[in-house]
Amino acid sequence: MRKKLNRYALLFCFVLSFFLLPLITPVWEKIQAEKSDTTLVVGFDAEFPPYGYKDENGDYVGYDLDLAQEVCKRQGWTLVKQPIEWNSKDMELNSGTIDCIWNGFTVNGREDEYTWTVPYVDNSQVIIVRNDSDITELSHLENKIVAVQSDSSALAAFTGEGATEENLALCTSFKELQQIGDYNSAFMNLESGMVDAIGMDIGVAKYQVESRGETFRILETRVSTEQYAVGFKLGNTKLRDQVQDTLKEMVEDGTFMKISKKWDLEDCVCLGEQLGITEESTGEETESEAVLDNPKNEKEENQDTNTPKGNKSDILPVVKQLGEGMVATLSIFFLTLVFALPLGLLIAFARMSRYRILNWISGIYISIMRGTPLMLQLLVVFFGPYYFSQYINTFLPEQYMITVNLSNSYRFLAVIIGFSLNYAAYFAEIYRAGIQGVPKGQREAALVLGYSRTQTFVKIIFPQMLKRIMPPVTNEVITLVKDTSLAFALAYTEMFTLAKQISAAQTSIMPLFVAGVFYYVFNFIVAFVMKRIEKKMEYFQ
Amino acid sequence: MKVLEIKNLKKKFGEKVVLKDISLQIKEGEVVSIIGPSGSGKSTLLRCATFLEKMDAGELSYSEKNIIHSKHGRAIYPHSKELRKVCENFGLVFQDFNLFPHYSVLKNIVDAPISVEKRKKEEVYEEARALLKKVGLEDKENAYPSQLSGGQKQRVAIARAMAMRPKMLYFDEPTSALDPELTAEILKLIKQLAAEKMTMVIVTHEIDFARAVSDRVIFMDEGVIVEEGKPEDVIDNPSNERTREFLKKLSY
Repeated sequence: MRKKLNRYALLFCFVLSFFLLPLITPVWEKIQAEKSDTTLVVGFDAEFPPYGYKDENGDYVGYDLDLAQEVCKRQGWTLVKQPIEWNSKDMELNSGTIDCIWNGFTVNGREDEYTWTVPYVDNSQVIIVRNDSDITELSHLENKIVAVQSDSSALAAFTGEGATEENLALCTSFKELQQIGDYNSAFMNLESGMVDAIGMDIGVAKYQVESRGETFRILETRVSTEQYAVGFKLGNTKLRDQVQDTLKEMVEDGTFMKISKKWDLEDCVCLGEQLGITEESTGEETESEAVLDNPKNEKEENQDTNTPKGNKSDILPVVKQLGEGMVATLSIFFLTLVFALPLGLLIAFARMSRYRILNWISGIYISIMRGTPLMLQLLVVFFGPYYFSQYINTFLPEQYMITVNLSNSYRFLAVIIGFSLNYAAYFAEIYRAGIQGVPKGQREAALVLGYSRTQTFVKIIFPQMLKRIMPPVTNEVITLVKDTSLAFALAYTEMFTLAKQISAAQTSIMPLFVAGVFYYVFNFIVAFVMKRIEKKMEYFQ
Repeated sequence: MKVLEIKNLKKKFGEKVVLKDISLQIKEGEVVSIIGPSGSGKSTLLRCATFLEKMDAGELSYSEKNIIHSKHGRAIYPHSKELRKVCENFGLVFQDFNLFPHYSVLKNIVDAPISVEKRKKEEVYEEARALLKKVGLEDKENAYPSQLSGGQKQRVAIARAMAMRPKMLYFDEPTSALDPELTAEILKLIKQLAAEKMTMVIVTHEIDFARAVSDRVIFMDEGVIVEEGKPEDVIDNPSNERTREFLKKLSY
């Protein structure tokens, strides 16, 4: 009896360790990270050209990233470009997975929420409409549908606390103010007539209108003016000062202006004024290499030879890039299966155990995992340790406070843990149904023949269960293939996130279709393999 | 020698008393048939003797070795490992065969002797083939259960039970799931085993078969043994009113 109890205790510990893993790893990773604090992890929205986006070669580029690169170069840091899910930016910053947000990040209205550098870009919000639209004035927007990116400056300009009376009035005159996740889908909406106008930052607007050609135009009247700066976690003045001082240096020697020119943003920058420096910058070529020897000029030369900024629909490079993204998708897929399939079996055992407490725990586990969205679970696994430690700290005296700083490499681990925990719950129920579906007589026959409990399960029940569960397992596995795209919630760049980024950079929806084809082909293979396995087990009934 | 001895067995399912106070002895080489109306507790008795059900009170011995003893009116079981060992004493043939569908006929027979009793493979295979020949299925050793008829399945099940070299065999209504024309082949096989002096306890509704094959017939009703004795006494000249009633009903 004691031996058996031990076995269950062991099993219980194993399951428990899955929950503790996310709590332990960050601490460990922090120790690792402290060895080298010479990285600067910059969080940015990779679908936000020209400030940060993915270029034709699959690299993250942009005005802000060039600035960050130059700062890092001068400071001797390594730059880590971390695309983030815009809605999670505060969680990313607070938990320490990124060091700053440098991404056309609007100060106005957020003054007290971050530690800011002085603004470097003066940006205005404008309205974009289709060229054939009869909207020419802001007042024409009455009764129209206007789209803005969620949690963007344009949204703030219309509905935020700092919004002007006029803008608030303007906003109420809209038929609807629609929030859209990224600009690319906003343009798809505009192009297809689902919305009548888009409100966005002028820099982005210029880029988009330029690369999308004659289809769109920008309204003359601006909705608001606002400023961009680099945002740090509130109180992190040390890092802010380091970055700001370097930026100042860059203004003084003209590098700042040069980078601004490269990105066509020289009309908007304001860092010099803000710092009280009169820039002697003209187009004079101050020698500063690396980041600077890039597109603008080449681009203009290449204009007719078909690799302009918004290069349209060259399918092969897209396929190649998505192919690389597929590796990330596949690793989520396989690792999830590797962990979730056995874990599910353990949970199924607990669910059917004679011990009430195991029944109870596994029941609650399954109910929570099935009853809440996977995306939320991913967020909890990733950001949970930090916020949980914050909460615990409110009860602890100062000297015992725990600092959990999540490192960037925890991102992938969190994706795998989140997916495994979730899928294990579904697999557990499938196993349970499979096991309970094996006729009682099978167990009795084995018992009378003297098989042990383990032998009975391994030799008699398990193979029969396997045959029964193949169809529902196939369903789950195919769902998993598609669910991998949810990893975007943790800004883990798998294939679909990549497709969205490329789509935004190329202002084309073709990459999304290619992604769809990738999913379909992969699922086709999965279905085929599962069918083969099912066939293999057809020898018995 | 007494192969099986049961004393004062009591069994309840919830509030319902299924076996009231059963005592029973089976001697080596004896063939005993248990008859009685459905719900009389005969199958439960078999399941208690094979440890598929737990008895509430009473004692049980195999080969004159006490397995379950009684303490303060309750049945005390040994550790499950020990109980598994006791299973070597008997084989059980189910009404619905319960062959392992994912194993071939041969594997169904050899797996338990090899993996439970740890006997030598060659020896077990040889014996299994001999058993298949005996039940007339030597050409089916590679077939899977789903490819067999009911009667063939039941013959494999009997061979599987025999392969464990049990001291006795239990049959729980071995022909109830079979078409009449297939029943005969099973009854013939059991008769053959009886001729070889295999100790057997058979729960059955086949009265003629019970009369022909048994040394002793037990009639059970409402959880008690109402009458027992030689088949010609119990079946042809029952002394008890309830036995007479049951047999009369069967003959319609």
